Amino acid sequence: MSEVTIYIDGQEYRVPANTNLVDVAKFYADNDIPVFCYHPKMAPVGMCRMCLVKMGSVEKNRETGEVVTDENGNPKIRWFPKLQTACTQTVYDGLAIITNSEEVQVARDDIIEFILTSHPLDCPICDKGGECPLQNLTMRHGPGQSVFYYEDKMHLDKHVPLGELIYLDRERCIQCARCTRFCDELVGDDVLAFHERGRRLQIVTISDPPFDTKFSGNTTDICPVGALTTADFRFGARPWELKEVPSLDPYGPEGANISLSTRLDRDAGGRIVIKRVMPRQNEYVNEIWISDKTRFGHHHTRSDERLTKPLIRQNGQLAEASWEEAYQVITDRLRAAKSLGVIAGPNQSNEDLWELKQLASHVENHHLGVFPATMSGGDIVNTVGVGVGTNFLDLKKGDVIVVVASDLEEEAPIWYLRTKVARDRGVKLVLLNARPTKLSKYAKYNLTYAYGDAVSAINSLISAVIGAGKINDEILSRVDGYDELAKSVKKPAYTNFTEAAEAIGDAQNMIVLAGSEGLTLAQQRELMQACANLLIVTGHVGRPNNGLIPVWHGANIQGAYDLGFTAEATEAIYQESLDVVLVAGCNPVGEVVEAEALQNANFVVVTSLFETETTAIADVVLPRQSFAERDGTFTSGERRVQRFYTAQGVIGESLPDWRIFAEIHYRLGGPKPKLSAGAVMAEINKAVPSYAEMRYKKLAEMPRQFPDVGGEDLYYGGTAYQNRGGIGQQTPTVAEDPEARLSVRPVEAMTPKFDGLVVIPTTLLYDRGVLFRRSTLMHQRIPAPHIVINPEDAEAQGITDGDTVAIVVEGHRYEVQVKIDKTLPRGAVLMPRRLSNRPDPSVPTVLESIEKIVQPVPVTEG
Amino acid sequence: MLQDEKYQEQIQRIFAKYPDKRSAVMPLLYLAQEAYGWLPEEALDEVAELCDIDPTQVKSIAGFYTMYRETPKGKYWLQVCTDLPCALRGADQFYEELKAYLEVEEGGTTEDGLFTVEHVMCLAACDRAPMLQCNFHYMENLDMDKMRAWIEERRAEAREKEQKS
Ligand code: SF4
Ligand code: FES
Ligand code: FES
Repeated sequence: MSEVTIYIDGQEYRVPANTNLVDVAKFYADNDIPVFCYHPKMAPVGMCRMCLVKMGSVEKNRETGEVVTDENGNPKIRWFPKLQTACTQTVYDGLAIITNSEEVQVARDDIIEFILTSHPLDCPICDKGGECPLQNLTMRHGPGQSVFYYEDKMHLDKHVPLGELIYLDRERCIQCARCTRFCDELVGDDVLAFHERGRRLQIVTISDPPFDTKFSGNTTDICPVGALTTADFRFGARPWELKEVPSLDPYGPEGANISLSTRLDRDAGGRIVIKRVMPRQNEYVNEIWISDKTRFGHHHTRSDERLTKPLIRQNGQLAEASWEEAYQVITDRLRAAKSLGVIAGPNQSNEDLWELKQLASHVENHHLGVFPATMSGGDIVNTVGVGVGTNFLDLKKGDVIVVVASDLEEEAPIWYLRTKVARDRGVKLVLLNARPTKLSKYAKYNLTYAYGDAVSAINSLISAVIGAGKINDEILSRVDGYDELAKSVKKPAYTNFTEAAEAIGDAQNMIVLAGSEGLTLAQQRELMQACANLLIVTGHVGRPNNGLIPVWHGANIQGAYDLGFTAEATEAIYQESLDVVLVAGCNPVGEVVEAEALQNANFVVVTSLFETETTAIADVVLPRQSFAERDGTFTSGERRVQRFYTAQGVIGESLPDWRIFAEIHYRLGGPKPKLSAGAVMAEINKAVPSYAEMRYKKLAEMPRQFPDVGGEDLYYGGTAYQNRGGIGQQTPTVAEDPEARLSVRPVEAMTPKFDGLVVIPTTLLYDRGVLFRRSTLMHQRIPAPHIVINPEDAEAQGITDGDTVAIVVEGHRYEVQVKIDKTLPRGAVLMPRRLSNRPDPSVPTVLESIEKIVQPVPVTEG
Repeated sequence: MLQDEKYQEQIQRIFAKYPDKRSAVMPLLYLAQEAYGWLPEEALDEVAELCDIDPTQVKSIAGFYTMYRETPKGKYWLQVCTDLPCALRGADQFYEELKAYLEVEEGGTTEDGLFTVEHVMCLAACDRAPMLQCNFHYMENLDMDKMRAWIEERRAEAREKEQKS
């Protein structure tokens, strides 16, 4: 990056060219220029004038270009006659500013005085008090007196609900437009706007549901006053009482970094509890943003329904028992077991998985499965996953992002946001899907295929890349199987992908995000291979910002694959009848119909936070700890291994999963249980080559990040927290080793032929999963069980929007509402997972029957 | 209401003037205001749907410009200029008397639903003060005698109409 010289308060600095003056002054000169409307993640607007500085340019000799100096040898500077806004200034060579003169001080004081003319100054009852940019800047610049009449203050409405999640205090708003610009410019959900003007200017939303975006909580972080607050934390605690604990999102594959704000709480019986979830800056992962699911989905950690003691089935009933008794029963069974099936849930940490694997190895015939078993190909990710150092922020014009078979906003909102913003920077977005999704309107190329046919679509893309002569010849010398691959895609199923293929062929960098919508597990695995083929032949592997990202349905599915667990094994466990089944932290029986078969196992052990349909069939139930009560690591879809830390007190007698498995293993003759999760990781470091460098200490390293959000000066970036827990570390891919051979292989589409309507399971962000449904705050956002159907199909079935229908799929009957969507292809009936209290079909399945349920007409008397 | 057959041609004519749909928000808001008499939330939703943007953005635009009304108003919307040049010719006095005669407060609507009165800034007719704008048409060189006569005419009209129906 080229550098320029600038002068701040007479001091010379070398800084990167084309960067924002406020960002640069903070990062390189440790000079906090006060701002309200400017935010380092958004384009400047220059609305509040808080950032005024004296600005000028050094004089240069026109012929020689040399800096002209005065008699003391200092550069001569030509100053602008008036103060200028720093936030709208990009640095250039010779830029000079003064931030500490009296003139600048007076200007800052005046702006604060002006802003306060319409601000209620109700800090004592304001949630932001203690971490409020306006409060902080008033302390520094606020005049003790004002020339304005106090009675003239503008009074507007307080506690206006913008939907059920966010509350607005209209009179505290200082009209910086950060919240509206965040929604509009960054997220693309323009559901927040200004209304009226002048001092009456106020934030409104009339979308349906109100404030309809999955990122609404972020506006409360960047609001520089207490105008926007969350329903979750309102009047919950004072910021200075809170202790921040670094943690990770327990739901999604993105690995969003969060900070758990905790304190000792009387209402929680004097325990330490989570009062709120805040974002923690990690520029590689989530920057400073988190989804509302991450922010408001923490309530399961301290739910009253948490299991507190081991349970053993006696005479058909689960009865409380001691750990020792439970271990006894389990070890007796395992000693005699001929076969064992292990199903690891989506947020088992790497340490849990490791101990689970050690335990399982005690029974020779065992399967290591992962849940949900919607996606495969973790090994493929380890070959051609995104290179170490990948950062969506580095993608720019000339680069391409491909998204296939995924509704990214619902399945991985952080990747949705970062993809959308990358596209705004000029990255070309190629979308392959069987139906339009929210991302479609941003895509340069929307390539549509028939449901189940994703592999043919990728094959067609490869075919078109070959046709356009855009194969990367350089890489072919280390690729095996190219000729067969080229031969196999000679007759593409889709012939209209040429333009997209050219864009892909010309791309500097390319990331492919692969999902699983509408695919069986076997097809999904083929899709992963097809994506690998595409990435390899175009040379987009083994470098940062290039490669494959799997849209896993869970926080640590990648870790599970890395440690030897697979979705295929889960399918095998459903199909075989096994002696003992051990389900770790998930609820297969309540979620997928195939898992009914687990009832046939002779003995079922379940670790769980709650009673579920799966614990209902268990012989022993063991209370596990949530992510908030223990240490551990998750590996994200970008293969970033990251740590989370113990935040709150233990609930009942619950134990971390790794500890439970180690104790059982110990009683079966295994080694003595380790004392900490870190010690377990040390063992993984030794045994798993790709994790050799993933030492706890290394994962906790925290280099300084640009822009420097999260310091004491809250006005700069908002209340996102500084990263004190480490930014983690990516595991290397095979492709990064220049010596390694890469192989491509022809893949077949295996597109099934269905007659009639087919139920396609989809994934929504907000569902009634075991953990998320404990956040009652979010209930209004979780849709009722429903299907989505094309209007013509609906008409043919005699049903309309809003009807309640009974559908039968493989003998299972569901009562669902009907939603009509004219963008959906004919023949497909979308059925989002985990909305009802019944297990769902997990793969595309023929709809046996659909029948309108006639609601009983209410009887009216008289 | 904008879905009604009678508005379709006008809507198409408005859209034809702009390169993209969202640019047509303002003229469509005027149309909706004409149709509804003011801009209830349904009207905003309809415009949003037509322009393919979120209703919140439409509300924001309607809120910014004072010529859009987001509260119900009477059949005749009387906007009296009381800026300095008009005031020098007695406009403020005229405005007070007008309100008293109609028995309404600033921005209020008469009980019969006929008249809404409010004061506005300069309408660029200073030389013909006192003046007002009634549903975007100017009435100039006014005094209370003229006004009273005009008001009573409108009331008589309304009564007549009611009897007929
Ligand atoms: S609500 Fe907060 S973020 Fe939004 S404009 Fe007002 S002060 Fe700025
Ligand atoms: S004008 Fe620069 S921060 Fe607002
Ligand atoms: S001041 Fe009344 S019209 Fe100009």
